[in-house]
Amino acid sequence: MTSSPVKAQAAGTDGRAAMKQFTRALGAAIVILVVWRVTTVGLAEGYPASFWISQALNGLVLGGVYALVALGYTLVYGILFMINFAHGEVMMIGGITGFFALQFAQARGWMEGPWPVVVVALLLIMFIGMAASVLIGVTLERLAYRPLRQAPRLVPLISAIGASLFLQYSVLLIFGVSPHSYRKPALISGGLRLGDVFIPYTGAIIFVISILLMLALYFIIQRTKLGRAMRAVAEDRSTASLMGVDVNAVIVVTFMLGSALAGAAGVMLGFHNTVVKFNSGFIPGLKAFTAAVLGGIGNIPGAMFGALILGLIEAIGPSALGIPTEYKDVIAFTLLVLILIFRPTGLFGEVLSEKRA
Amino acid sequence: MLILESVHTYYGHIHALKGISLTVNEGEIVTLIGSNGAGKTTTLNTISGVLSARGGAIYLQDSGRNGRSRSAGGRHDSDGDIRLDRLPAHEIARLGVSQSPEGRKIFARLSVQENLAMGAFARTDHDSIRSDLDRVLKLFPRLQERLTQPGGTLSGGEQQMLAIGRALMSSPRILLLDEPSMGLAPILVQQIFQIIREINAQGTTILLVEQNAQAALQVANRGYVLETGNIVLSGAAQDLLADPQVAEAYLGI
Repeated sequence: MTSSPVKAQAAGTDGRAAMKQFTRALGAAIVILVVWRVTTVGLAEGYPASFWISQALNGLVLGGVYALVALGYTLVYGILFMINFAHGEVMMIGGITGFFALQFAQARGWMEGPWPVVVVALLLIMFIGMAASVLIGVTLERLAYRPLRQAPRLVPLISAIGASLFLQYSVLLIFGVSPHSYRKPALISGGLRLGDVFIPYTGAIIFVISILLMLALYFIIQRTKLGRAMRAVAEDRSTASLMGVDVNAVIVVTFMLGSALAGAAGVMLGFHNTVVKFNSGFIPGLKAFTAAVLGGIGNIPGAMFGALILGLIEAIGPSALGIPTEYKDVIAFTLLVLILIFRPTGLFGEVLSEKRA
Repeated sequence: MLILESVHTYYGHIHALKGISLTVNEGEIVTLIGSNGAGKTTTLNTISGVLSARGGAIYLQDSGRNGRSRSAGGRHDSDGDIRLDRLPAHEIARLGVSQSPEGRKIFARLSVQENLAMGAFARTDHDSIRSDLDRVLKLFPRLQERLTQPGGTLSGGEQQMLAIGRALMSSPRILLLDEPSMGLAPILVQQIFQIIREINAQGTTILLVEQNAQAALQVANRGYVLETGNIVLSGAAQDLLADPQVAEAYLGI
């Protein structure tokens, strides 16, 4: 009888070892399957190199947009340890608002004007979308999350899902179910042709703007007093308040930054996909969340690289695996499940824990 | 300078401070001694506003020194004192009440330099910040060598120096030190207490919380003895050192 707890413990470690072996075997099986599909199907199709390059460029564009949204998830998680599941809707609001701003500009003929007018108008449209997203993001924080700051962690998460549905169906109610289509001005239609590779102007612009916004964010976080306060609050809220930091103000600013990036992403995704509607933030939001987890949630460079990697996998994956493009979402979310099983801390998780130590 | 009047603090239903009254005068070192769980850290956190008092009052006398703006929401009573209780922690910090918390609470991922800059967060007088940084680095030369290192990579003693240095960077009117000697080698403990004397000699008022009662009473002008949320004894530090009750309970004699 006395030996039974010892036995139970041994069984427990046996169980854990077996589980570890099982996940390892599963991982190996998946790698083999992917390699087999890629070599026998994907590469056997004999696509030209220009095809793969085009796909990869598409992936980078998509990845840039995901990165902007993923940064919002990761910033908020870094400070509040909550997943803001309404973040995709914050992006969608930016897209919808951008659509109306674009319509306003088109009605006044600004989109057919000389190029400086078009550029300024486009930038204004993006800023208006960003402003709308900031407004929604800050309102969410104030109404849906701040009252639950002291509650168990699951509670604000549920509140976030509620807020996500509330925003989606409010937009549905107000603007209807039919998609609003972004009409590209002539200036940014078309693209560059480099040999067999075609680069649409919108894609190039989206990528460049995404990178610029990410650099701006990185500068704010790493080099400004505000950013230093954000990092301090992320590490230890009450000690930061002992330094004279108004923690609530920092949290609001965090939501503002994340929402502004999402708003820009919403407008750019509008131009990229040409349509926005009430639920067009949902899937990109989940993808961006996947990207943030891939990079290691709470880790800012992780979100950027995770998003670019996810964009690439999504763009190249279907052709490489020889499956229809409609299944690209399956690839992204399978990836999410796999990361959560094999590397819950994400690709950059180690860096994070090292710094914490 | 700092006056606590019958302060009560609770953790949920647990009555942690049962009517603490104490005074710290300008230029003094006052120590608060007592065993684990007596309420020493709770007292400091109540003063700092990390915890809120449910009864009593905390006043900071408004000397107007440093020419700080006092309009930051501080409620003035008839004497021109500022009531600290119920002000949020960040506003109390901005009034010149600075805490070096128990367990150091260094920002592990921020560099030493950034940690020190966080101490000066609420200040805008860049020239004096610069000279205060020089002063802190003169006080703790070890930090000078480690300026760009993440705070988390420092040794325990270095972290304690950083915590005190960070608190000093706010150019405090009163410095609250919570267990500065905890977990340090005896030689470092001596050094830390030497530095506490120096800081005080340079004009900073200090409220020192310590388990090392002997060392604390040796540097302090006055002391209070805290037992399960009550002040049971107070007086000049020399008298407390000589008190047989204190000797038996806290000095291990």
